[in-house]
Amino acid sequence: MECVLKFIPLLIVFFGVLSVVPLLVYLERKISARIQDRIGPNRVGLLGPDSPFEAFGLKTGAKRVLGGWLQPVADVVKLIAKEAIVPAHADRYLYFLAPMFALLPPLLAFIVVPAGPDFPLSYHGPWVKLQVADLHVGILFVLAAASLSVYGLAFGGWASNNKFSLLGGVRAMAQMVSYELGLGLVILAAVMSYDSVSLRDMAYLQAGAARQLDDMGVATGFWEGGSNWIGNWGVWHQPLSFLLFLICAFAENNRLPFDLPECDAELVGGYHTEYSSLCFGMFFQAEYIAMLAMGALIATLFLGGWHFPGYAALIAGALWEQILAVVLGLACFGAKVLAYVLFSMWVRWTLPRFRWDQLMRLGWKAIVPLALANLVLTAALNLQGPSQQKAGHRTAIETGER
Amino acid sequence: MTDQPSPPIPPSPGAQGPQQTLAERLYLPEIAKGLGNTFRHILRKPFTVDYDGTERGDPNKYHVPRPGYRGEHYLKKDEEGHVKCVACFMCAAACPAECIHIEAAQTPAEWKNRERYPIRFEIDLLRCIYCGYCEEACPVDAIALSPAYNVVSGAREEKVYDRDRLLADGERYGLSLSRHHYRPDGVPGAVAPLSADSATATAQAESANPKEVQRPEETKAPETQDWQI
Repeated sequence: MECVLKFIPLLIVFFGVLSVVPLLVYLERKISARIQDRIGPNRVGLLGPDSPFEAFGLKTGAKRVLGGWLQPVADVVKLIAKEAIVPAHADRYLYFLAPMFALLPPLLAFIVVPAGPDFPLSYHGPWVKLQVADLHVGILFVLAAASLSVYGLAFGGWASNNKFSLLGGVRAMAQMVSYELGLGLVILAAVMSYDSVSLRDMAYLQAGAARQLDDMGVATGFWEGGSNWIGNWGVWHQPLSFLLFLICAFAENNRLPFDLPECDAELVGGYHTEYSSLCFGMFFQAEYIAMLAMGALIATLFLGGWHFPGYAALIAGALWEQILAVVLGLACFGAKVLAYVLFSMWVRWTLPRFRWDQLMRLGWKAIVPLALANLVLTAALNLQGPSQQKAGHRTAIETGER
Repeated sequence: MTDQPSPPIPPSPGAQGPQQTLAERLYLPEIAKGLGNTFRHILRKPFTVDYDGTERGDPNKYHVPRPGYRGEHYLKKDEEGHVKCVACFMCAAACPAECIHIEAAQTPAEWKNRERYPIRFEIDLLRCIYCGYCEEACPVDAIALSPAYNVVSGAREEKVYDRDRLLADGERYGLSLSRHHYRPDGVPGAVAPLSADSATATAQAESANPKEVQRPEETKAPETQDWQI
């Protein structure tokens, strides 16, 4: 029974994430259009001349309503209806394994991300965690999952029996190795600062001394202060980490300016050149879900998780105020993730693609040294930090005491 | 031309590689600049005309081609309502794509102003290259190119326009009696307009000053828009 109950949040998160993807596709097309002074998809809507309901014989009228909003649905239908072609001499086993390997890791990352503060069932608890699983290894689990996603790209490139695909897969591997190093070093600095690898701890530390933390009777040290404003967000404690993480996140997501594995101009479609139908759709989805996962990670690590101005006052109040804080927190978390995704779209349609050697030079000669320097700096600053108190707080959260 | 020595050639800026300032080499300020640039474009009104593609939508959204746009052909009528064409084959001879097919016949006895007229006049618009030579060649100003740009059809056969279709198009665009077409030198057609209606139409067309090449967004809507499909 408990096992079944565990599945419910998992399903909610997975289907929630998957259903956001079409919206992101629409947003990306619309934003790219506006940046290029175009209009973008504006046809397939609820009502009007090009409504899909016309096909069912419904009168849809002459005026377009929500024109373009159903474009992603039309895209999905098109992808499903396409023939799935497997190229000759392709490694069929790996060929079909690759999209799954691409899609699963970014989804896994959502398991450990807390989407909001604990939901109070009554004033004195019990509290429901808005998180699928509060793994102690937290961020390490995300890193491990993210490393797996390169297999999808590499398999896809290898199995397709296509030189463009192979080049794309090789590039994906080299890029992931180079930028995951920087990413790991940056996360290490963040972990040092939070003195915890649990994403839940990090979020609670940034949210400031909430009522729960007061109840635990622990001081939060370096992170002290029931910050009503955003002064406690990780980005103020780790500004350089934030910047480097952002750059590495683009590379990890294979987004422009680092989309070398796809690289339409040189490699046709890169690792997914030979994919069609839903196999391609899975790669496509994986790209957007990886963006969402990175957004969730950035929000939790640097942008205060669910925290919003006025959170501390709300969460310390009556039951209904706490519930309001939870709901607002969820919305804020979503807004932060969306903000990252929108930012990466904005960057994508602004910057040209890096050349291959430039990408490597940036990764190894700029990101890694800067991340190392950042690590040393963080270590030096944390020498005088009250890490003892933080350790006490961490144990309190881990054991679930309140 | 003169004996003066030519000025020294300045060294090419790329000779020693691009000179970048520190801010440029740091990438980030430049990236911020670029992001600001694209953000301004997001806020701007889209350049693309929201072309509806149907006859059902908002007429204000129709794209108005600039004067002289060469769209689908139409045939004009004389003041008696007959086809103005005299079946001289000048357009067919001028056509580089050889897409105009005419069969001439004697006019009925009650047609006083000429002897021949086309009983068959077909333009294969799939062959047509929209060069407008037929319009230039016509001695009686019977054929012209309309601003109709929506040239999509569902079948090849639909794109062969016969005489009646071309005449009906002229009626539909309201251009049967007018000269709208574009002459770079502003010279009106070879033949003087036949009726008072067409004279005023010519005057209007000339007063619109077709010499000015205008971007579509800047073009004021013409007084008569009834030729729009």
